[in-house]
Amino acid sequence: MSDSDRVILDPTAERSPLRRRLSARGARLRGPIGLVDIAKARGDVFLDELEVRLRLRLPGEQILRLRKPTFTKPTPPSLRDEIAQRCRVVIQALAD
Amino acid sequence: MSATLSPGTPAPPFRLRTLHGDEAGVGSAATGPATLLFFFKHDCPTCDFVAPLVGQLSQRLGDEGLRSVAVSQSDSAASAAFAAKHALEIPVALDEELSASEAYAFDSVPCLVLVSGDGRVLRAFQGFGREDFFALVADAARTCGAAVPSLERPGERWPENRPGCASRVHDPEVAQRLAVRRGAAQLSARRVHIPVADDPFEFFAALGIDDGLPVVPPTEARVVRMLEGTKRSPSEVVALVPPNLAPATVEKIAINAVMAGCRPEYLRIVIAALEAACTDEFNLHGVLATTYFPTPVIVVNGPIRHEIGINCAGNVFGQGFRANATIGRAVQLVVRNVGGGRPGEVDMATLGQPGKYTCCIGENEEESPWEPLHVERGFRREQNTVTLFAGEAPRAILDQTSRSARSLATSMGLCLESVAHPKFHGYGEVLLVVCPEHCRTLEADGWSKADLRRRIQEATSRPLGQCLPDAECAEGLPLQALPSDLMGQDGRPRPEILALPLPKFRRDEDILIVVAGARAGKFSAVLGGWVGGKMGSVAVTREIGA
Repeated sequence: MSDSDRVILDPTAERSPLRRRLSARGARLRGPIGLVDIAKARGDVFLDELEVRLRLRLPGEQILRLRKPTFTKPTPPSLRDEIAQRCRVVIQALAD
Repeated sequence: MSATLSPGTPAPPFRLRTLHGDEAGVGSAATGPATLLFFFKHDCPTCDFVAPLVGQLSQRLGDEGLRSVAVSQSDSAASAAFAAKHALEIPVALDEELSASEAYAFDSVPCLVLVSGDGRVLRAFQGFGREDFFALVADAARTCGAAVPSLERPGERWPENRPGCASRVHDPEVAQRLAVRRGAAQLSARRVHIPVADDPFEFFAALGIDDGLPVVPPTEARVVRMLEGTKRSPSEVVALVPPNLAPATVEKIAINAVMAGCRPEYLRIVIAALEAACTDEFNLHGVLATTYFPTPVIVVNGPIRHEIGINCAGNVFGQGFRANATIGRAVQLVVRNVGGGRPGEVDMATLGQPGKYTCCIGENEEESPWEPLHVERGFRREQNTVTLFAGEAPRAILDQTSRSARSLATSMGLCLESVAHPKFHGYGEVLLVVCPEHCRTLEADGWSKADLRRRIQEATSRPLGQCLPDAECAEGLPLQALPSDLMGQDGRPRPEILALPLPKFRRDEDILIVVAGARAGKFSAVLGGWVGGKMGSVAVTREIGA
């Protein structure tokens, strides 16, 4: 696809920005569940505890641990793509 | 020679990056007595011939005030090689995007343009002509107040004429790109960049700007091409679209028409349909917001049906015909995206119906024994029109055995009585779609549309008492809808009123009749309407413009 094919004209009345809709919330929590550590101190401890509780409550659901290189910068595109490809639900922690 | 290069005309200003990284061009400010522009392509043999002459002229008159700028249509590497080959010491401006070349509107290179200090063309020519070049040198010298230099060496004689090469603006793919650029410059819609990692179709779905089916990405090139389908200005406001009463410009309609999959020649039908739908009479807001079933049903009349391939015959309400499918869809997308009408928000339909994706048919005027719909409604047969009707989905009228018009019309009446509810008499508009085989039966007995309407009303007439709510069925005509002079002291209709025959439809002309469908099959259809009159929606017909 050329660069010009990736630019489209807004079909709306432009009274608000075009935003992606939030994905529909499911009735219950289903995996794969991504636990994303934003790399702040001891955020991994919080996620460890969360993982234990999720495994107890949701046996059989897949839980993935992912980690940002640093909390000071946005999630790298490669990690964002991995999250989008591999996870149904994401829990990102832990900010202070 | 184009009008742009005629002596005395203002030279189009431009500034381009040069091989050295600075900028050069022609500006609005005076920059010395004269500027010589040398437009070239690196692979043009005549440009190879002219380049040294330009270099020499620049050397001879540069100190006298002549600025010279070579303007290359080639990429920077090829331009640098060309400049090195000819030891050009003048700035070489890069016009790879052809903005300056397009502005100067020449057809071939080399093109030499001498511009005066106040920004007017003094002389210009394309290719090489010996006399033309002599005249240009003389003009340059005179303008700079210098003696005319002799550039032709003793014993040398330049060719009288050498043709140039086509300017790159005429390369087929370049010409198309430039047309899009020119067209895109008129477009004011917000540009949205699809992220590299995103599939475009999933991206549109995530934005909620589709109708549940994939849409065609509305790129600048596609929208520019779509706008060729109308003579109207892209910025013209066609209608204020409910529910948000947002302005639908020709441009916005074109964007949604691209998304729907329309061809450019369908655009003016979409425009006319929106003009009709957004009238107070049609009441698109009510049609959209109701919990009931209606959708804007578009009936097209006139020669345009065959010009652009609108199906009027077999499977007319079904799939398989691009014009039918996409014209109705474009209207719905405009309502959704411009007007903000979406299911679950202002669109509160309980069940909805498939026609809310698209519902557009052509009348089969050729099979009809009567005046087509638009002629009945005051237009000439040769005019192209759309009629918008707020209609339910089609329901079947089966009659395979009637051999007389009266019998067939009676069948139709019995079927039409069930529109909305059999007890709802005094109903508003319906759209009766008569198939060709049924037309033949009616035509054989010489029945007109008026005869058909009259018999439908007779066949559906019931005593008013049978149309009221009762112990068996709580639905029916509400008592409060009856005129007070028909009511007795007990608040019920007077006994003699209960026996009065009440036809299904308030007026005979509320039964809109069109002919459509294939030649085989004795099945007509009715599309029930919504609330009629001033409170509801009435059918609206508009001429299709340019």
